[in-house]
Amino acid sequence: MVSTQAQTGVGAEHGASWDDAPYPVLVADAQDSVVLRNDAATVLLPGAHPGTRFADVVPGWLAEAHAAVRVPGPRTGQEPDAEPPCPPLSGTIGERSFEAHPSVRADGAVTWWLIDDTDHVLAREALDMERRRTAFLAEASSMLLSSLNLGRCMDVTAQLAAEHLADAALVIAPTHGRRLPVVTCPRGGGPSTSHESADPDEVPGLGEALRGFPPVPSRWIDPSSAPAWMVPEDFGTVGSIVITPLPGHGVPAGALVLLRRSGGAAFTDSEEVFARLFAARAGAAMSAARLYAEQTSITDVLMRELLPPSLHQISGVDYAGGYRPSADHERIGGDFYDVHPAAVEGDASLITLGDVCGKGLEAAVLTGKIRNTLHALLPLADDHQRMISLLNTALLNSHHTRFVTLVLASAVREGSGVSLRLTSAGHPTPLIIRADGTVEEAQTRGTLVGAMPHAPARTTALTLAPGESCVLYTDGITEAEGGPLGGSHFGEQRLKRVLSECAGMPSESIVERVQMLASQWIGRGRHDDMAVVVISAPRTHHLSAVNGHTRGRFTA
Amino acid sequence: MSTRTPHRPPSAAAGTVRRLSEELWSAVSTADEHTATEVVLGALDNGVDPETVLLDVIAAVQGRVGEEWAANRLSVAQEHAATAINERAVAALSRHPAARTAPTRGRITVACVDGEWHALPARLFAEVLSLRGWHVDYLGAQVPTPHLIAHLHRTDSDAVALSSSIATRLPAAHAAITACQAIGVPVLVGGAAFGPDGRYAFLLDADAWAPDARAAADRLARGPLPRPRPDHQQLDDLPHLADQEYTLITRNSASLVRSVFTALHDAFPALRTYSEAQRERTAEDLAHIVEFLTTALYLGDEDLFAGFLTWTAQILTARGVPAHSLPPALTLLARELKDFPRATRALDHGAAALAPVNRTAAESLS
Amino acid sequence: MTTTPPAHLRLSTDDTEDADDAGDTVRIELQGDLDHDTADGLLAAVTTVLGDHPRLDDLHLHCAGLGTVDSLGLSVLLMIRRRTGHAGVRLHLDDRPAALDRLLALTGTLDHLTTSSATAAGPFGAEDPPRTGGNGKAMTVRPTGPDGTT
Repeated sequence: MVSTQAQTGVGAEHGASWDDAPYPVLVADAQDSVVLRNDAATVLLPGAHPGTRFADVVPGWLAEAHAAVRVPGPRTGQEPDAEPPCPPLSGTIGERSFEAHPSVRADGAVTWWLIDDTDHVLAREALDMERRRTAFLAEASSMLLSSLNLGRCMDVTAQLAAEHLADAALVIAPTHGRRLPVVTCPRGGGPSTSHESADPDEVPGLGEALRGFPPVPSRWIDPSSAPAWMVPEDFGTVGSIVITPLPGHGVPAGALVLLRRSGGAAFTDSEEVFARLFAARAGAAMSAARLYAEQTSITDVLMRELLPPSLHQISGVDYAGGYRPSADHERIGGDFYDVHPAAVEGDASLITLGDVCGKGLEAAVLTGKIRNTLHALLPLADDHQRMISLLNTALLNSHHTRFVTLVLASAVREGSGVSLRLTSAGHPTPLIIRADGTVEEAQTRGTLVGAMPHAPARTTALTLAPGESCVLYTDGITEAEGGPLGGSHFGEQRLKRVLSECAGMPSESIVERVQMLASQWIGRGRHDDMAVVVISAPRTHHLSAVNGHTRGRFTA
Repeated sequence: MSTRTPHRPPSAAAGTVRRLSEELWSAVSTADEHTATEVVLGALDNGVDPETVLLDVIAAVQGRVGEEWAANRLSVAQEHAATAINERAVAALSRHPAARTAPTRGRITVACVDGEWHALPARLFAEVLSLRGWHVDYLGAQVPTPHLIAHLHRTDSDAVALSSSIATRLPAAHAAITACQAIGVPVLVGGAAFGPDGRYAFLLDADAWAPDARAAADRLARGPLPRPRPDHQQLDDLPHLADQEYTLITRNSASLVRSVFTALHDAFPALRTYSEAQRERTAEDLAHIVEFLTTALYLGDEDLFAGFLTWTAQILTARGVPAHSLPPALTLLARELKDFPRATRALDHGAAALAPVNRTAAESLS
Repeated sequence: MTTTPPAHLRLSTDDTEDADDAGDTVRIELQGDLDHDTADGLLAAVTTVLGDHPRLDDLHLHCAGLGTVDSLGLSVLLMIRRRTGHAGVRLHLDDRPAALDRLLALTGTLDHLTTSSATAAGPFGAEDPPRTGGNGKAMTVRPTGPDGTT
């Protein structure tokens, strides 16, 4: 009998040493009967007595592997102990993992070496898991830290959590209002924002998580106690829910709710720890975004007062203004302008443009004070010298010599022209663009305001014909340094040349052209604040609109 | 390309559009704001779709303004006046009841790249988006990137639409695109700067590009733009920047222009007879050439520089100024930049492209 | 001789102390820009000089080497004029470049800064505003720069 031969043959050759082998060894003959096993194999597969059918006594994966090895059919004998036809196979036997290495003999018998790689597999799995988690945390951090917008942070948090931690995730932000801002994201879907009228204290653990204090651990809740808004539509039956607080920097950042369907895997301890690591990052990003939002809303409120207004037509006179602060990251500085419409129709509007000594926030604060003072002095607007003297007195201070240079202009429509009174208090002289392209300097001169006991100034009066303009500007324009060859000032002569090409242009085009050319002159260089205001007498064919006899919708 | 979309306005008869465009053009080219506004509002009163008025009338007329300026049939002042009146017409349109739309979609920020002064295309696009129900934040011309980013942190915009018409603004556009993407906001770009086929939009890794306002609005209507990769860096798009040619030449551009300007006095003796203003213009032209050269180096695209040179030659020729100073200027630049292989190649390429144009110009004058 | 080198502005102080009763003269040479970054340095140097020379009659700011003067630079010149006025010291802005003259003319400060009266009318005119500290205060301001050694 072949099987007997095989049994004795193998036993005679290798018996003693095989029993000592650290690996279980099984031999099956060409008829798939077990013919030999060593001691280790006996311990591992107690049922695999010699003579039993190999496929009946080994786990399925090994039986399949055996069949695959045997498929080529009875060996012809040319390839004794041929290399196994496929890479080492592996599977579990009992609770442990094995690699199975077959070697096929010329007579068709197969020797199976079973190598226990359980620890190796566990280590590899743990390593893979760690790598995946580290990669995920790195990705999460870079996505979360890139945004200072709370809504976007919540979206990213919900989406990442749904992709990596749960079947669905909710991010809930703390609120002062009655409605809870909630971002919901199912796995594979996109985040959606809603506002739920719900009391967070009705959900166990949620109220504490949203208050952020005292610190609470993640909390399991009974899925049946979850309110309906917590479960995304078409989610199916919830198997488990965990609520994890999002820790902020001393401020509550919100809560992360993770949901898994019933039937799926529940959260393991290590997953829960990992969720907390993620929550720490998400919470830091969300609280930074919240602080940023609070800061900017404060700044916005303050800035609204400090930013120059947008100008338009008032009582038949065209106004346009443009302002560029010295550094691109600032939006306020030491230059300012305002147009104050007359209290009584037919009186002159007052235009102010000025330049406060200094830079940055300090200058901006002084600018605010000056604009407020000028506003308060509006009843005296027809007496420029008086306004300037009162402003001078208001600004004089024994501790510093901060000053302002400014131009006051009173403009009123008269017939088709505009009558102007201009006063410069130590400020670059206003320029007049006549219809023929001539550029004139206004004949006004005076001293700066706020640093010397008196501030005398000479006022001049003139008339703008239709299409003519008066240009007020700060020295940021003329002092702009650069040019094609570098190192030269934009200067008054160049400004005049530019303005003479602007004859007949609408006021906003003149502002834009001056700003554009000065900016291009500077190129990438540094510059001071730059402000321009243009007062124009509209071209005559606007008249009907100005008087409101036609549509007039387009005149504000 | 946009005929399939549900938002395509009911097309006004081509004849109506042509008539309105002619009327608006004659008003705009004579700086007649009143008539211009009447034309636009009258069209809305008569039921012409506001989007048609914006894109097929106002935008078309603005395109003609540019062409007429290039052909020297409009002065700078006329061009500015025409643009301003078009802008006022847009403002008037946006206040007409027919153009009032309550926001039903998400939020889009529309801005021009830093240094970009042509605001009208962005403005028109912003109006189109409003008409289609988006909540639009229009930030206007030349928005410094820090302002744009601060705005995006404050508002939860779904996307940024960035407009640029001049190629030399592309490095600034790239900075803005990368910055927006870095904070997780996708960017749609448009405008002539990105090339007729959008090649620079793809090169600079914008999330979307559209050839015109209508197509751009259609793209946004189709669904959200993909979320940008968070770790995207400028150098990833343009590995050739590693040779530092762009950086070094940009940093020293003023002194480069100075050297070439000085040397040009010998190479091009007519310069000595120029007035101060003419000399300054020549220096500005040189600075402009250098700016285009550096832009071409930034993008790694020699054709861009060649295209600029031929365009400049045409503009000069249209103004009766033969571009005789261009070839010697290129030679001098090549001499100054001989240690920069990519710049040298671009200059050679440009000089070759310029040769036929100059010949034609010389022949037409002789 | 003291040299204070704030960024882009070099100050060279030169004293000529006359014998006994004759008054002192201090001359400070300004080299560079007087602006946002450097103006405080000049003010500190002048304050030191005023503190160190109680009998000072004349302070000469030698301006030939002066570059750009911005609004804060002008503000500091006005403050120096105020302090020298309080201290009864005549202020001289010598060898002014044309650009400085233009700035002073435009802002209406030329006369104020260049016609110095040693009778020390306060900078607020005949009557000083209340609680200014007057001369004494100006003199006791502690210099922030290095000690003005002679």
